[in-house]
Amino acid sequence: MKSLLERLVIVMNNFWTVVRFTVMNKLKAKAFIISTLVFLLIISVVVNIPYIIMQFQGGGEDKTQTVGYIQDGQSLGSVTGQQLEQYFANIEGSKLTFKGFATSGNAVSDEETLKSELNAGELYSYLQFGEATDSGFPEIIVKSEKLLDYSVASQIEAALQVIRHNNILSEAGLTEQQMKELQAPIVVDAVQIKGSLSAGGEGEGKTAEEQGVNMGIIYFIIIFLFMAVMISGQMIASEVTAEKSSRVMEVLITSVSPLTSMFGKITGMFLIVIIQLASYLAVGAINLSLPHNAEMLKELNIDLSVVDPMLLVFAGLYFLAGFFLFATLYAALGSIVSRTEDLGNAVMPMTFISLAGFYIAIFSISTPDSLLVKICSHIPLFSPFVMVLRLGLTDIALWEVLVSFAILLVTIYLAVVLSAKIYRTGVLMYGKRPSMKELRKAMKAYKI
Amino acid sequence: MNPLVVNNVVKHYADKTAVSGVQFEVSKGEIYGLLGANGAGKTTTMRMILGLIYPDQGEIKYNGKPYSNELLKNVGYLPEERGLYPKIRVSEQLIYLAQLKGMSAKDADRSLKYWLERFEVPENYNKRVEELSKGNQQKIQFISAVIHNPQFIIMDEAFSGLDPVNVELLKATVKELRDNGASIVFSTHRMEHVEELCRNITILHRSKEVVKGSVKDIKSKFPKEKVWLQTKEEVAGLEQLSGVKAVHRHENGLEIEIAEEKVAAQILNHALSQTEIEHFQVKEPTLNEIFIRTVGDRNE
Repeated sequence: MKSLLERLVIVMNNFWTVVRFTVMNKLKAKAFIISTLVFLLIISVVVNIPYIIMQFQGGGEDKTQTVGYIQDGQSLGSVTGQQLEQYFANIEGSKLTFKGFATSGNAVSDEETLKSELNAGELYSYLQFGEATDSGFPEIIVKSEKLLDYSVASQIEAALQVIRHNNILSEAGLTEQQMKELQAPIVVDAVQIKGSLSAGGEGEGKTAEEQGVNMGIIYFIIIFLFMAVMISGQMIASEVTAEKSSRVMEVLITSVSPLTSMFGKITGMFLIVIIQLASYLAVGAINLSLPHNAEMLKELNIDLSVVDPMLLVFAGLYFLAGFFLFATLYAALGSIVSRTEDLGNAVMPMTFISLAGFYIAIFSISTPDSLLVKICSHIPLFSPFVMVLRLGLTDIALWEVLVSFAILLVTIYLAVVLSAKIYRTGVLMYGKRPSMKELRKAMKAYKI
Repeated sequence: MNPLVVNNVVKHYADKTAVSGVQFEVSKGEIYGLLGANGAGKTTTMRMILGLIYPDQGEIKYNGKPYSNELLKNVGYLPEERGLYPKIRVSEQLIYLAQLKGMSAKDADRSLKYWLERFEVPENYNKRVEELSKGNQQKIQFISAVIHNPQFIIMDEAFSGLDPVNVELLKATVKELRDNGASIVFSTHRMEHVEELCRNITILHRSKEVVKGSVKDIKSKFPKEKVWLQTKEEVAGLEQLSGVKAVHRHENGLEIEIAEEKVAAQILNHALSQTEIEHFQVKEPTLNEIFIRTVGDRNE
């Protein structure tokens, strides 16, 4: 009788051989390399799009836009133009400047003057004033060659609001101190507290800032899990089917137990997906940290130190568990079809389930306390997506998380047993895709 | 006790019986022939020997022990349909398969190079399988079955798709594996290979054994019903002899079908009385004829 240890060594050796083979072949496959590179390129472009757009908008952030208007010294329009010119001149770093042009007395030739300045590139746009309105300002039209450019108009609107506000207040005889008081912003902070022991650790609930960062992290985790499941699920299933259709499976199962080969493949794909997604992240991060993107990053103002480490631990556990649950089921589905063409239909249910879990989580991100979320956070195939919501955004009781995770683990165990059986049976069945009944019959016949 | 003992195995699939009461033993250094028409139960029998499926009744013993996973590295399998990764290099996939059989990468590499050299295709080492001709793929498949020097080798249609030169090459290799002590189960539709390689055979028909034993015994059990006759001059009146069923005139001789073996002597006397005889032989039935007779008869 061979010792158990010796047997374990054989199984582990085979397991790592399969893992290595899976990883090496994927990394060397042209299709994989090309698709990864294309995706990296797309990421690089997408990350830089705000900057690129800015470049195309003529001159970028340093260049100021000059707005012209006709100055005749007395009309309401001229006064308004004057006020705007002063207002923007007083704002430090403003990108808008106003420039008055002396009137020739003729409205038509005045506009001709402004137009020619616009054509010469001296002006970005110019203003035309109409009848006086109730607002105390005349009708204002911003004319520009740009299509649907509201930025100048909205800046002028905001500026006029402030100008009118100040005018009225100073006419009412308020002191400067009083005006400041009126303008000081009022701050109300929302802090979430907890009533009982929760999975979030010792803490005092979550502040708005924490919730904001958590929300970002949760978005990220959910999308990461979804991508990992979709990419690797498809890859695992199609690898299994390819092995079956090329009949190399018949040789394989006389060399290594189906269970070992299935888990070797799943682990190999897990590594591949992690490598792939990590390279996307790295390239995204490198691009973001380029000097021209630094300012944008600063504006986002993310402080990762407020993230609760327990959230990350639980999210990591759910990620791993979710990944393996989906992966084993995908492997089982891949094993029952014998031709790659039939694979799409076979994995459809899994695709829908992962899509459903993903969307439930994404759409519930603003209502993490809803009954739907509570229920779904205990349903095995949904919980990896949905539970991170509750972990990150609410104060969920520790026991609830443990119950949900226990359900998930039991499901994984059942899925592994079932998938192993389907796999063991499926890899020997050729021809058309077997029905559930045929599969059950075959399982019985093979004594699996 | 023989290394491989298949003891009265029975296998049912749902509503039909795939194998019913098959029983044979393969000794060390023996090639056992498993014959049968398509669907007769050969592949199921082989799969049971490989441990891919378990018999409903009966048992299979390897060196006296039942099947276990450790056995896997002592088994080599050449499936009927070729199974290799089309897009992966020969060296990578064969070393992988050998490693799964418990070899170190270094030993596997050495063994692979030996076999490629042996089959006169060392240049295939770095090629992808899809680039190879069918015959060369077959050689690679063959290597995958024997690279780890297994004790038990199961070969399903080992020589299909090969030209006569390569068939000889592989046949010589199979004989060498036999002489080195392997126990080989061999299935084919080519009876001349069986006659050349196998000591004992089983002919399966509709999941049952219909003929079993050593090739020699089987042949001697079937009556000799053909006479080969070459004479200097034409022999007349053969058709009129009683017991002669038919006379086929070939380019360089006559093939005479007879009802009983003793008719042969009458033919010889009859011919001698007319002319000189160059060649006279009472022919044993070929396995091909036996196969067609046993399997064909029962088809009716």
